[in-house]
Amino acid sequence: MKRGMLLCGALVIAGASFALGAETRKSLVSAYDSLADTILGAKKTEHHLVKSILEIHYNAANRLFEDKKFDECAAEMALFANEGDNAVGGIRKRLIEGGHHHNAEGEAKGVYDEGFVIVTKAAKKKALAASAALQAAKDEGGGRKAAWADFEAAAAPLLAGK
Amino acid sequence: MNVRFCTVAALAFCAGACDANVPAPPPVRPGAAPAPAKAPGPRFVFTDVTAASGVTTVAWCGRPEKPHLLESGGNGLALFDYDTDGDLDLYVVSGWRLAGEEIAERAKNALWRNRGDGTFEDVTAEAGVGGEAWGTGMAVGDYDGDGRPDLFVTNFGKDALWHNDGGGRFSKVEDGPGIDGWSAGACFFDADGDGDDDLFIAAYVDCTLDDVLHAKPTLDWKGAKVMPGPFGLKGKKDEFFRNDGGKFTKATEEAGLTDVGEYYGFGVAAFDLDENGSLDLYVANDSNPSYVYKNDGRGKFTETGLWCGAGLQGGGAAQAGMGVAVADYDSDGRPDILLTTFADDSATLFRNLGRGLFRDVAIETGVREPSFAPLKWGVVFSDFDLDGDEDLFIANGHIYPQADTAPESRTKFAQRNLLLENADGRFSDATSGAGPGLAVAKSSRGLAMGDLDGDGDVDLVVSNIDSTPTVLRNDSPRGGRHWLTVDAPGALRVAVEAGGRKITRFFVAGGSFCSASEPRFHFGLGAAAKADRVVVTWQRGGETVLTDVAADRIVRAEKR
Repeated sequence: MKRGMLLCGALVIAGASFALGAETRKSLVSAYDSLADTILGAKKTEHHLVKSILEIHYNAANRLFEDKKFDECAAEMALFANEGDNAVGGIRKRLIEGGHHHNAEGEAKGVYDEGFVIVTKAAKKKALAASAALQAAKDEGGGRKAAWADFEAAAAPLLAGK
Repeated sequence: MNVRFCTVAALAFCAGACDANVPAPPPVRPGAAPAPAKAPGPRFVFTDVTAASGVTTVAWCGRPEKPHLLESGGNGLALFDYDTDGDLDLYVVSGWRLAGEEIAERAKNALWRNRGDGTFEDVTAEAGVGGEAWGTGMAVGDYDGDGRPDLFVTNFGKDALWHNDGGGRFSKVEDGPGIDGWSAGACFFDADGDGDDDLFIAAYVDCTLDDVLHAKPTLDWKGAKVMPGPFGLKGKKDEFFRNDGGKFTKATEEAGLTDVGEYYGFGVAAFDLDENGSLDLYVANDSNPSYVYKNDGRGKFTETGLWCGAGLQGGGAAQAGMGVAVADYDSDGRPDILLTTFADDSATLFRNLGRGLFRDVAIETGVREPSFAPLKWGVVFSDFDLDGDEDLFIANGHIYPQADTAPESRTKFAQRNLLLENADGRFSDATSGAGPGLAVAKSSRGLAMGDLDGDGDVDLVVSNIDSTPTVLRNDSPRGGRHWLTVDAPGALRVAVEAGGRKITRFFVAGGSFCSASEPRFHFGLGAAAKADRVVVTWQRGGETVLTDVAADRIVRAEKR
């Protein structure tokens, strides 16, 4: 194993020496290029996966609202706002601890909570407020519909984005 | 099977029948101050009686400079009646003392026997319950149903279960339940409704003694270098152990209590949050959302923290959860939750809306402002002035000793504790006028409450980092106000109707920060000299009703 690693290292150094002053060896550039595709692809995949989580919570909320199961609907709205439950939160924590911030720039600007992929701080606040309003609403016509409208207004732009 | 459940159907009693169940403590013990008819002056008076109490145990926690987080986590304590003589004894948990990269002292925990008047004698050696590990917290429960309270001590290292053998002796249970690592809060509660106490343990960070001994303060904080963490440190998983006839089996996943986020667990509390008759579980996680586990009544839990309204503060942010207290602050008959948090962040009061849903009401109830600056740990609700509502006491202390010297620091390592008076569901800061006991400033952590001197009001014991605990005697003027204590082992909740109002207290296992308080249900009755009705609702169904119960006494209710 150690011998193999040494041999590999020697080949890389030899390759680098051979190309000294001219260019990086094509095969290494190509390998790195492929890796870049994988890295960037992983980020894109993360986006798609989180979007799927949001769509599932949104669709569940929508169905539950129509079924007049308002507490359950409010729960789905809150999970949408949080990009999933505490199990997802645990994965988010692990990624952050590993140095991965999907929206590092957005976090620095205060747009996203740490580790969040799609739901902005502002949208999270609106969706959570709508969830709480739905829990508290007593009237069939006014408060509940208003809470759902507020939630849709917060959720729609997030779901519409690529 | 737990003996407290051996009795049969619940019956309604009149006061006369009830008297047969009272172990005859006098209404007010000799030496206790008589209640004055009128009480001019302050509403609350707490006196620091640590020296007079005789309690001298120093709870060590590493080195003075605290280069590792473990050294600032502090220790819990417990008030419980280990010798079943009717008064509250004190168990103080200690860590180890470090010097440089060496262990300077493997300090032991200490058991202090109450002489009956609020003074204590050290009985650790004869009880055999000193322990050898770095202690962090504890839970009290009668796991084998023999009528004597047992002890579970959480450690940095392997946790320890101590069986109360009677006769003032404990023996360590070999191969008992526990976590090997840094565990913090724990509680015994009957999760599956089979009549015995199961055990939940919150764990904090996965680290070794070597990590602790060689830790360096590397984090920049307000112009000083302080200990890093918990961000960047690996969390350790909480665990649940099911009790079957006194034998514990790990059943965390099976029960639905898997610590999915490996969050940093601290305070825990088990209580019936959704009023379905079974005990649910709240876990305060440092720097992460709280877990709110709802029990289906058969010991299967569903985690609801991110949607029930009690896992995040109202703005949707996770807080640094430390301790937890549960009580009906607004007298609507439902248990509400108070979560203590880091400095420069509000403690959060979650109002129970019913149906297992909560809303953050810290701002409108007045909790936010006085609780914002301090770093908050142990917390209890209790009716300290006997007026019928639940006041709040919070133990404070910063985690960084460098707070005293850091150029940009505006706080101190040692902090005053906080007393908030409840008036019609709104809290106001009553600390400064609450006597010399509230002027004490230490870096406090654990907190337990109970009536130490048997005078009918609730006293406090606070654990302090690298120091002796503070024993605070409640000397608040009575002002003609009355009290009633209901001793009802196995109760889910107790409601008292007195003076035209209904006051509800809930069974809470665990609570505060890594500590255990008196298990009896204490009520302030205001001017009412009797309770018209006392309704005890039992954990496994049924009620016991006592009528026309005279105030200023301890009354015992048992399930029949």
